[in-house]
Amino acid sequence: MQEIQDSTQQSQPGAELLSPPPAALRAFVTLTAPVKQLAELLLVRPGPWSRAFENLIVALIVVSIASIGVAAIPGLPEWALVALRIEEIGVVAFFSFEYLLRIVAARKKLAFIFSFAGIVDFLAIAPSLLTGFDTRWLRTLRLLRLLRLLKLQTHYLEATVTERTRELAAKNLALEQAQAQIQAELDVAHAVQVAILPARFPARTGCDGAARMISAASMCGDFYDFIELADGRVGLVIADVSGHGVPAAFFMAVARTSLRDVAAHHAEPGACLAQTNRALCAQNPMDLFVTVFYCVLDPRTGVLRYANGGHNPPYLLRADGTIEALDGQGGLVLGVMPEAEFPDHTVELHAGDRLVLYTDGLTEAFNAANEAYGVERLMAQLRASGELAAAPLIERICASVKEFSGSAGQSDDITLTVLGWDPR
Amino acid sequence: MKVRLEKVPRATLVIAEGRLDFGAAPAFQKELEQAVAAAHASEAKAVIVDCAALDYVSSAGLRTFLQAARASQRAGVVFALSTLQPAVREVFELSGFSRMIPIHADRTAALAKISATKTPDGQ
Repeated sequence: MQEIQDSTQQSQPGAELLSPPPAALRAFVTLTAPVKQLAELLLVRPGPWSRAFENLIVALIVVSIASIGVAAIPGLPEWALVALRIEEIGVVAFFSFEYLLRIVAARKKLAFIFSFAGIVDFLAIAPSLLTGFDTRWLRTLRLLRLLRLLKLQTHYLEATVTERTRELAAKNLALEQAQAQIQAELDVAHAVQVAILPARFPARTGCDGAARMISAASMCGDFYDFIELADGRVGLVIADVSGHGVPAAFFMAVARTSLRDVAAHHAEPGACLAQTNRALCAQNPMDLFVTVFYCVLDPRTGVLRYANGGHNPPYLLRADGTIEALDGQGGLVLGVMPEAEFPDHTVELHAGDRLVLYTDGLTEAFNAANEAYGVERLMAQLRASGELAAAPLIERICASVKEFSGSAGQSDDITLTVLGWDPR
Repeated sequence: MKVRLEKVPRATLVIAEGRLDFGAAPAFQKELEQAVAAAHASEAKAVIVDCAALDYVSSAGLRTFLQAARASQRAGVVFALSTLQPAVREVFELSGFSRMIPIHADRTAALAKISATKTPDGQ
């Protein structure tokens, strides 16, 4: 009992060292500028000095642990005991010096003192310092010197962590730069992609066309097109490539160009789709496909011919407010089966009718509760749209989808095209 | 989405659950590839995808079925779907995929159909 009390009294100086008052700490710091420089050189700055100091510490830890083992052997000769004493004094002096340097070098000194490494460093020297190197009744306390093993471990751990952190930071930076470059290139590609699509509907008496495309990723798999035909009719396309991103964008560009070329040579939409389909099947290494709805309007008569390659049927919003789906039998998506056929259908527009074409990214826009926007909401918007012209009708629908989705991210490209016809 | 492979005497079953969209497609495609390979290596050369709990299929999801159907054809494996929910069935009808990939009302019907087509070959 007495011994324990004695030992606590003896450890008073140590306790002071553990929690010095902040004012004293500041004075301590200002008085030790040269020490601080030394600490910087040996502990903080990477280089030959810090590496040598590091190696010296590790060597001394190993030596001192070995000597603790040797000292435990009974009946050592007197000279060996003396050598061990000298070695211990040297080691403790050096570790004390190192401990103080670490406090000086640490930016947050108290944090270092109470950190795992700080406590280990302190306990590695404390027993010898407190017991005056040999106090028989505190022999057991000296066992704490074995904590130098931990010192070895924390040392390596710290060095490894520092090294790994440096490597990670370098790799992160490289990744960020690569990412920024890819993003910049994708942005350019996206701009090109948008630029090749027609910005406005061809001027035709009685026609009011508009389109809007909102892509979910940098590169979009949807497209629309307005094609002016030599016979005065005008073609309208809406399409959706499976997936999005770069492969979908390439496929979209090929599909759009093929269809445009073919449209000039075939009067019937079904024949256009069949020809485009054969072209796509011939060059489709990635098994992509595209849904295409293609219709041709004669602005003089209001006769609309259409064919469908696996696309969701567009809606015809009649001037009297009724809504019809253009759901005449369609064919397979394009790019899958070269022999696929696409039946043609005819519908007659009346003055004031509007045709609404969209991709399923619109009806399958989800909200935070995981509900889809759905056909019903689209229908409700169309019914309530009065006599809105093409562009404001698109605005209205897009705003409604945006409001519905709220905070949920957009998962698919959304494309919407409206064509109104009124020859009056 | 969740996917489970299961072996039954006459086929390899793929039980799909949840939403098959652009994000889920790559993982689902791997599962289908595995199922086709397993079916190819087994006696019963058939894969049935049970879609009872499959709520949604996007165009990227459709593509995984197309690729699996093609891989099956190359490997001499029968590839069929069963138990489609109405919304998913509509996607297959609209895209024309229902004309390329056999679709059965339920698992039992799919298995019966497989047995029926195989019997003439003596398998």
